[in-house]
Amino acid sequence: MDLFRLADADAVLPRVKAGDPVAQEALYRAFEVPVYNLARRICRTTEDAEDVLQETFFEVYRSIGRFRGDGSLWGWVRTIASSKALMRLRRNKYRETDELQDDITPLRREDTALRMDLETALERLSHTSRAVVWLHDVEGYTHEEIAGMMDKTVSFSKSQLARAHTRLRRWLGEEVPA
Amino acid sequence: MTHLTMEQLLAVREPGLEPGVAGWRDHASACDLCRAELDRLDQRVARLRALPALQPSRNRFAEIRTATSASRRRKRWVAFSAGGFAVAASLTLAVVLTRTPELSGGSAQQVAEQQELDSIIARSRSLEGAIQDYNPDQRVTDGRTAVVAASLEDRLARVDDQLQMVNMMDQSVRREAALRLWRERVGLLNALVDVHVTRARAVGF
Repeated sequence: MDLFRLADADAVLPRVKAGDPVAQEALYRAFEVPVYNLARRICRTTEDAEDVLQETFFEVYRSIGRFRGDGSLWGWVRTIASSKALMRLRRNKYRETDELQDDITPLRREDTALRMDLETALERLSHTSRAVVWLHDVEGYTHEEIAGMMDKTVSFSKSQLARAHTRLRRWLGEEVPA
Repeated sequence: MTHLTMEQLLAVREPGLEPGVAGWRDHASACDLCRAELDRLDQRVARLRALPALQPSRNRFAEIRTATSASRRRKRWVAFSAGGFAVAASLTLAVVLTRTPELSGGSAQQVAEQQELDSIIARSRSLEGAIQDYNPDQRVTDGRTAVVAASLEDRLARVDDQLQMVNMMDQSVRREAALRLWRERVGLLNALVDVHVTRARAVGF
């Protein structure tokens, strides 16, 4: 994340709370990319991710008065964005066809031509697994926090992460013979 | 020798020490295969974190700003509905009631106007209910829809301001003004329902 922009966002916070549109735009500019990136990694389509971006900032401007500064501003915005992205996943109920495909056409370790790059492999994960991977491994949420956001158990979050890494390892051709 | 499962390898990477994890850590440090697997896991996570940030296709700040302003306006007329609505309705009804045939020997036309007013106020409540159930504040709108909704809400706010002034008008024009304003209010609410609810249904929300 751009640290200069992040510092800007904290500096304009009192003016954002006062409803100053210039300050609101500065906050948007500071967090637009990380919010969209998080949303796009969780949601299936760019349209959904852009909707999450809009919903997130709408909620941020509406609720900014309740932000007390206990944690970082980005942490607060990120939680709103994660929650909105997960809500959209639940609402759209994407079919998890990728896992079926994996069972039908398993990749052979020695078939290097079929090895995927990380972007493709991540995209191929089921939406639930991908969301857990991104929230845990990249955004740094704990299993307890993820379970709370997804309205699932801690065990569910852990097993989704393990399942996702098992698949990523296979698809990336990283399996080692025992 | 039993090697660590993926779930155990991931548990080893977690902070803190849950039951059983100490034993798995000992195994990972002693077993070349599991240590290599743990290294690959660390590298995979590092690569995930290093993926390039994806960027939105366009700046959506203007739409967000319009939606935020619309929400403020909506709160204003919803507040009118919750508090001022009852006052305005009672004032308007009082205007008509004083002229009903039973109370003051008024004409059949006045009875018809009172019935129309009752019907319009009920319709107004019903339309507001539909908009509030839809909850536009929680919805994503495109810029054009947001601008149209904002314009309708501005006009609605002006009608509400005028409705609150009805009681200060001359007795001879109050009833007519009240009817006109309530009709206008229902027309604007109908248009808002079209903008929000009908459009939402069309796109499958």
